[in-house]
Amino acid sequence: MRPHAGAPLSRRRFLALAAGGTAAGAALSGCAMQVSTGVGGSGETVTVMVKSGDILPEQIQQAKKELGIKIALVRYDITKLIAMLTSGNPPDLVRGVGAVDAPFFAARGVAEELDPYFARSGVLKLDDLDPVNDLWRFDGRTQGKGPRYGMAKDFSQDSMFWYNGSAFDKAGVDYPSATEPVTYEEWLDTAKRLVQRKSGQTSVFGGSYQGVTRSTLLATMTASAGGSLFNDDFSRVDFTTPEARRALAWVIDYCKTKVGPSLIQPDPNGWDGPTYQAGRLAMSNAGYWMGGMIYPDKKLAEASRLAPAPVFAGGPRISACQAGTGLWMPRGAKNKDAAWRVFEWFFGEEPAKARASGGWGIPTLKSLRSLMPDQEEAQKRALEVQENELKHFSVVSFTPYTTADALDALFNQIAPAAMNGQISVDTLAGRLNSAINEQMKRGKEQVG
Amino acid sequence: MTVDEISSVASRPDAAARGGRAPAAGRPRASMTARRHRAFYMFTSPWIAGFLLLTVVPMLYALWLSFTTFDGISPNWKYVGLGNYRELLNDPVTWDALGRAGLFAVTSVPLSIIAGLALAVLVNRPIKARGLFRTLLYLPAVVPPVGAGLAFKQLFDQNSGAANGILNVFGIDALGWLADPYARYVLLMTVLWTAGNVMIISLAGLQDVPRELHEAARIDGASAWRTFRSITVPLLSPVLLFQTVTGMIASVQTIMPLLLAPLGGTEGVTSVPQSNYLYMMHVFAQYFALGRYGYASALLWVLFVLILLVTGLIFKFTSGAVFYNVDPEAKK
Repeated sequence: MRPHAGAPLSRRRFLALAAGGTAAGAALSGCAMQVSTGVGGSGETVTVMVKSGDILPEQIQQAKKELGIKIALVRYDITKLIAMLTSGNPPDLVRGVGAVDAPFFAARGVAEELDPYFARSGVLKLDDLDPVNDLWRFDGRTQGKGPRYGMAKDFSQDSMFWYNGSAFDKAGVDYPSATEPVTYEEWLDTAKRLVQRKSGQTSVFGGSYQGVTRSTLLATMTASAGGSLFNDDFSRVDFTTPEARRALAWVIDYCKTKVGPSLIQPDPNGWDGPTYQAGRLAMSNAGYWMGGMIYPDKKLAEASRLAPAPVFAGGPRISACQAGTGLWMPRGAKNKDAAWRVFEWFFGEEPAKARASGGWGIPTLKSLRSLMPDQEEAQKRALEVQENELKHFSVVSFTPYTTADALDALFNQIAPAAMNGQISVDTLAGRLNSAINEQMKRGKEQVG
Repeated sequence: MTVDEISSVASRPDAAARGGRAPAAGRPRASMTARRHRAFYMFTSPWIAGFLLLTVVPMLYALWLSFTTFDGISPNWKYVGLGNYRELLNDPVTWDALGRAGLFAVTSVPLSIIAGLALAVLVNRPIKARGLFRTLLYLPAVVPPVGAGLAFKQLFDQNSGAANGILNVFGIDALGWLADPYARYVLLMTVLWTAGNVMIISLAGLQDVPRELHEAARIDGASAWRTFRSITVPLLSPVLLFQTVTGMIASVQTIMPLLLAPLGGTEGVTSVPQSNYLYMMHVFAQYFALGRYGYASALLWVLFVLILLVTGLIFKFTSGAVFYNVDPEAKK
């Protein structure tokens, strides 16, 4: 029986109306979101998804004053980014790690090609771009070639390491050379001599060597051993090649010896910085950028030295950038021209100059190199080592078929058994191949 | 005759019909019923709208996702029918994680109920500063889980944590609390730390137990333990059943191991020690670290069905053991 006007609302009818209202509400809120990143009340608004500290509040004010553009910050969160991309309402600019994110997003067609923008830019000139920006190029198959999809804000050669000279003096260990690299085996031996333990507790870690991510560390170390972790079309990994196995065995050995933080001996600080500052870490695998944290502490700066990236005995000398963090523009961005203006400002104007002079990385425009800090003795020393290391810069390409997070997650899950001595490195290599190749196979099917 | 009885008789349809004024009497009654319905729906509609928007719609969306290979970004996802469910049945990692989650539930739920009940019995006694003790014991339950996770990580850190500091005082070497095989005990400690939640509900239940029953038992010469076992526990049984069901549901969905994980970030979920890699860790890893939205959604739907089944079984097997102290007259 159909309910007539004035009749009490049946439960069924009420639920149907509520469902309809809910769906309509969702649709309306979706529409509202579609226009929220558009033109703002006092000029254009550009939504930028970054981590805290990437763009400072005073820089937002500066942008509004100088560019007439309001920057709306969204805190970087990969799950939120995916939700925004899926809903067709992405930010106008997004933080990304060039070394691993560029091929992933470019291959899925969600990143905007920026070549036309660079071609007409008066701020970011192609011949002024440092080669590290090639991490943001992808030709559909290989990273480092083809159109540009983003740009790095600064960079470091992330296989280098800092060391605290006081710890070396205390242990009576010679300082590493500032120009000639140590081998990975020598680095580990030194770490064993520097570590200080008592009653099952480590008071000073001999050294930390964990790379930017586990996957970039392993890819870079395999390249240092003279091989490649990925096959020619980047659709598979192979940890059983002699070079990849050598890199893997070293990483497992590092964890087993417990000379530094690792999956089986975590550092509650989450990263090396605070531990190094506290004098509880003798060597820290970090590039030039960590100088930004070290220089303000005069005592620490005086004791600290930067050293070249280690090599494998008999392997080539390469010193790759494992990050190249910067910004990219989603293809679905609503406000591309204004976003590009913010892009130019962020990478070529005041924020770029402030970063270059702060010591938090090497500028990605050659013209800004002269701003790198060299007033203090510690700064001069680090800059000299860094300038020498740039001769060995290289790009280690990453696969477009999966994220570094996924490879790291699988490594984290499988590798502890080897770190604890329950399985051999060869068994580990086989298990990693199986799990990671399955993940990459799925990724390749999705990319098409 | 009371006023209510008079109005009740007056509103009976047969009475109205006998008086030959059925249409006139029926309209106000229908109008009152309609008003009552409207009031009911107006009061419940915010909840129903929220339930539909935030529960039913996402669940149906997840059900749809579970039949696909969707990864959140890539354009070439496809329908795989029950493929994700078939894969799940043959995935040993899934079964191991489910087994560990089950073991965690059957360990942590009874432990927290026993601990909470013991605390409730203690703070129900006429002791000095009883209010202060109740507050102190309940305080950990209001600490946000993220804060609790950070505190536990610092407390049980191998090299700088207070737990190993105490062991060292007694000449015992430091333990790797946050790694296997000790990590599972730290996880259990986080559950016991929030036993104040159980305590507060048990305390409310204890205060509902009629004092005369205890007095009668004492006069009959029953010991304290016998009184507790034969009077207090049966009268608390509905409260204990509630805590068992909600505790079981919460424990299989716990994300506490993630907060104790050595590494942060989405990929950090798989860095939790093997013994703490529970079902929800696996779901989280599939969603956010591996980008397998379809497979992860299938995992969640299977968990939802399992929780329904287990809840049903708990009700079935405890129906004879739960004593509902309901006034029989009130049912009429």
